[in-house]
Amino acid sequence: MIVGPGSLQRRLLLGFVGIALVTAIVAAAATITGFLVVANQHPIGANRYARRIIAWLPLNPSTRQVELTLVVIGIVLITIAVNTALSIGQRVLRPVGELADAADRMAAGDLGVRLDPQGHDEIADVGRSFNVMAQSLEASVHTLQHMETTARRFAADVSHELRTPLAAMTAVTDVLSAHTPGMNAEAARATDLVVREIGHLDRLVSDLIEMSRFDAGTALLDAELVDVRVAITTSLEVRGWGDDVHVDVERGLRAHLDLRRFDVILANLVGNAVKYGSPPITVTARNGLVIEVTDHGPGIPEEALPHLFERFYKADAARARSDGSGLGLAIALENARLHGGDLQAGNRPDAGAVFRLTLPGNSVVRPIARTPPTTC
Amino acid sequence: MPQILLIEDDAHVREGLEIALRHLGHEVRARGDGETGIAAVQESEPDVVVLDVMLPGADGFEVCRRLRGFSNVPIVMLTARSDDMDVVAGLEAGADDYLAKPVRPRVLEAKLKALLRRAAPTMPPGGPLVFGDLVVDRGSLIVTKAGRHLDLTRMELRLLLELAGNPGLVLSRQQLLASVWDQDYLGDSRLVDACVQRLRAKIEDIPAEPRLLRTVRGFGYRFGP
Repeated sequence: MIVGPGSLQRRLLLGFVGIALVTAIVAAAATITGFLVVANQHPIGANRYARRIIAWLPLNPSTRQVELTLVVIGIVLITIAVNTALSIGQRVLRPVGELADAADRMAAGDLGVRLDPQGHDEIADVGRSFNVMAQSLEASVHTLQHMETTARRFAADVSHELRTPLAAMTAVTDVLSAHTPGMNAEAARATDLVVREIGHLDRLVSDLIEMSRFDAGTALLDAELVDVRVAITTSLEVRGWGDDVHVDVERGLRAHLDLRRFDVILANLVGNAVKYGSPPITVTARNGLVIEVTDHGPGIPEEALPHLFERFYKADAARARSDGSGLGLAIALENARLHGGDLQAGNRPDAGAVFRLTLPGNSVVRPIARTPPTTC
Repeated sequence: MPQILLIEDDAHVREGLEIALRHLGHEVRARGDGETGIAAVQESEPDVVVLDVMLPGADGFEVCRRLRGFSNVPIVMLTARSDDMDVVAGLEAGADDYLAKPVRPRVLEAKLKALLRRAAPTMPPGGPLVFGDLVVDRGSLIVTKAGRHLDLTRMELRLLLELAGNPGLVLSRQQLLASVWDQDYLGDSRLVDACVQRLRAKIEDIPAEPRLLRTVRGFGYRFGP
């Protein structure tokens, strides 16, 4: 089928002609070589044409030299033939390869990639179309990124702005609380409510700011080698959960963790288990490092599972407002990711929810390993 | 009655903190910007400075550096953003501790208590500790290097006493936080790192190549030649 007078056809035609030409040269070379060798082997034979050719060649017609020269000529011809074929093939295939590379780079996220199409054939047209597409895609992505950055900066700014009046109020909550016993019942109730809600607002704003730090990429990991069991039990005891939660962790298991961030993750998972699950609540840690928090409550509704780590997601609309900020699990997930790990939620086959925190294996130090400390 | 100097530009936050600190039994002087804050320290040195990072004119880091130029008064930074960058910058500027806004008075009180504690009261005064040309006199709390008196802040001195009192032992950042800063298990171990850096600048011949106060990577710090 003929598709227009484009030069892909010409390229292919050129390729065929080239290949044919090269084949012809090789064939000719082979024929002549054979001819000459035969002529040389029968120097007294009747073939005067052969003698003439030999005489015409700038050779000392000793048999050995003639053979050597013919071999050299053969190698040179074959080399030329192969190179010609390769360069013709490349000329046809190069633009296609470049297009494929550009598409791969774009798929990998390099939206600035552009082609430099030469000529006016179909491949050059495809190249130009590709450039137009890349440009408009880049512009759209930039617009979206800009909008997202603006929205996030707005959220961060709002949180910071809220923080100043909140700082003034938080400072005096203890003074207010200290005076409630002397107030009449109504004023005391109102004061308690204000104090309580300031606390709630404080948690919300703190979580918003923490979230905006992850969004802005300014959250840093400050990891050090810690005893996993001690880290877990301390985190539980600080919150008064020491007696309610069963901890099953190998003694001496150590890992490189950011204690503050690890505490945030664990407090969130166990806090949820205490609030929504039923005892027994168990925290296990196995090598790897995999930490699981399980409870024996009703589990997580199937339809809620995919959204659990979304910001402000509420599994139960009736429980629209709790003590939490609605950002707890989203922050826990970000903290897990900052460690290079992951956080997943699911239901156990029998009953209850399970949260699995997976941290990269290289953070774990085996209990037995006793490497001599290195100084620096 | 411990005297606190509060440097905070927002009038309402300043008032709130003033009320809270007075309620906790402190004597409070409050200033609204860095210049008058520095002047107040020069006039009469308080027991602790509570310093906001976001100040008009010279910011909290700048004020902190300038205060450190002439005073070893304990400084708590109030980081409005509590960005990790802010915390590190504040500690590098010479703050002894930091607190993210909004400040819960009870947390502030705990920090103030730790800073107001006398240097190493639990340490039984022993003879002077000698490490090359560095001499730590645990009785008089005077530290000299090659005969020259070293000017250390209270936290630097306490850290040095803790480390030099346990020569050769590796002390983890958590242990140091508990013993020197009175902070629980979840305290910020960057306090230790920053104080170690400042101490090294004073006691080491070449602070970048410490020979006395060494890092034991992944474990903590060790003192001794």
